[in-house]
Amino acid sequence: MQTPDLRKLFAAFAIVGAAACGGGVDTTGDDVAGDDTVDPTDEWDERLEEREVDYNAALRIAALRLTGELPTLVEIKSVAEAPIEQQADVYASIVGGYLDDPRFARQMVAFWQDTLKMGDEPDFDSAAAFAAMVTVEGRPYTDLLTASAGTCATYDGGTGAFTPVDCTNGVAVHAGLLSHPGTQRQFFSNMAFRRVRWVQETFACTAFPAEITDAQDLGGVALYTAPWPFESIAGPETGGRVNFLDLSAVACANCHATMNHVAPLFINFDEGGQYTDAPAVIVPVEGSPLAAVSDYLPAGEVTSWRLGVPTPDLPSLGAAMAADPAISECAVARVWNWAMGKGDIVDTLSTIPSDVIAQQVADFRAGGHVLKDAILAVFTADDFVKF
Amino acid sequence: MKTIAKTLLAVAAAAAFGACTTDEPPPPSDLPEGNASGGEDNTFDHFDTQVDVWELLERLQAEGPPKYTSRVHSCPKIRYATIGRLLASRGVDLGNLADVTAGDLYASGEQALGAPNYAARVRENAEVTTAGSSRLFDIFVAAAPEIIANMPNRAECQIGGVGVSMFDGSNACVPDGISCLLGVPATASHIELCNLTVQRASDPELGKRMAVAVLAAAAHTCE
Repeated sequence: MQTPDLRKLFAAFAIVGAAACGGGVDTTGDDVAGDDTVDPTDEWDERLEEREVDYNAALRIAALRLTGELPTLVEIKSVAEAPIEQQADVYASIVGGYLDDPRFARQMVAFWQDTLKMGDEPDFDSAAAFAAMVTVEGRPYTDLLTASAGTCATYDGGTGAFTPVDCTNGVAVHAGLLSHPGTQRQFFSNMAFRRVRWVQETFACTAFPAEITDAQDLGGVALYTAPWPFESIAGPETGGRVNFLDLSAVACANCHATMNHVAPLFINFDEGGQYTDAPAVIVPVEGSPLAAVSDYLPAGEVTSWRLGVPTPDLPSLGAAMAADPAISECAVARVWNWAMGKGDIVDTLSTIPSDVIAQQVADFRAGGHVLKDAILAVFTADDFVKF
Repeated sequence: MKTIAKTLLAVAAAAAFGACTTDEPPPPSDLPEGNASGGEDNTFDHFDTQVDVWELLERLQAEGPPKYTSRVHSCPKIRYATIGRLLASRGVDLGNLADVTAGDLYASGEQALGAPNYAARVRENAEVTTAGSSRLFDIFVAAAPEIIANMPNRAECQIGGVGVSMFDGSNACVPDGISCLLGVPATASHIELCNLTVQRASDPELGKRMAVAVLAAAAHTCE
């Protein structure tokens, strides 16, 4: 194998590893694992330098994504016929107008249906409508995780209007989409793990394992890589009915150390997304018994978003996620990938080096997590208007 | 993880071997496919959704590293709903569901065109596929007569209330008409291709339909 191929192979491994634990983004834009130097003039940098600004092409893409339609002839000609030095302003003005257009609301509903993997049924659509409403109205993105009211919104495709509606699925204090009946119904599964996976992949932009530290050899076939104490999750010896501490083939705990500290927060939602007084998901063992917290955690362990971040209930989980830098970076990364025509950041491993979106992420955080502002920033970014 | 460590060792060994022979070694065939699946006797057998590292390597070789790919536009297909609006905004009657009309091909092409299946937790497919492109091109062929006839009446293709046409009275292609069809200003190449297609057809009407279909297909393969 020739050297460049080997470098790419190691890069492939590095990407797989980084995607599992790095916030859906690479920490540097370099492409070689273990290489701390950044070569600013490799062939890929040269290709980037060869791109040229084309506001005409950018306008077509922006129109299709932000309005769902081609630009009008008037818009096309206004950019094309503007003096070169004014093209950027004309383009930005049109894109800004798109964000205030009722068609943008429709596009945001579609964007969120795809992002959440939910739609075409009223309770599913109300989740996307809520997320779109938060986006279109310029509310903080963190409302998706913390809002206590109005989270079962409706969207009128005819008028483009959103209406906040309170969810009535029995939850005492809501936490945005985390307690939404549609999300709970769509991702119902054994032990609520599908719900946990959806939360992780949607809002943190990475697959499990979500937390990784130095590998430990605990005497099994597989190494343990999570930062939690190994016995912080359940096994038969602590009263659990699934052995999450098994090391005979794979290290279950590498993923479940995090998953088991989150999942108990979702086990009281039933198959229809209604909150009940007792666990309503089953354990996939003989007899299919209903889950108990002891199936996930030993006595004394508390539910947590991450190691050292205890979250005794869904509102605290939402608050912890809202404060997690990985969540805000993920939000911008999703907008970036949407703008640039990429597939889902997790499903297709379309990762983004942190430095590529560093400015947009910093502005997003400093500006109060307003996703609409991030969308404008991305659609007017240098990379977006170059081809 | 030992699984990954073994994979890396195997890859390193294969790479070392390859360095001496210059031949590309085939991917090892006895490596585990992921790290979430254990034997049925000792761990719950998860559905493996891990990315295949060999496919990822192939993608890196073809497309470049993330520091490059993340900064350049990809070529996603146009969303299903957007295709409908694009057609309607250029004069196509999507309500006409007669056989082999553009409306019919669009309405019945939902699956081929990659529409989402949220009931199965499947997003809209952003990839350009052979099936999707074939259906899209068929739609543009069927839609061409309607676009030619109705474009001037569409507000999206008017300036100061005056509509533009795809062709003038001598069957020559009109730049503004092409621009409105494509969503970008017509270039000299667009105009030349359009005129050649009309001129070389067996009759002008057929040539005009072909020109519209070809231009639309080329422009709208990617969003």
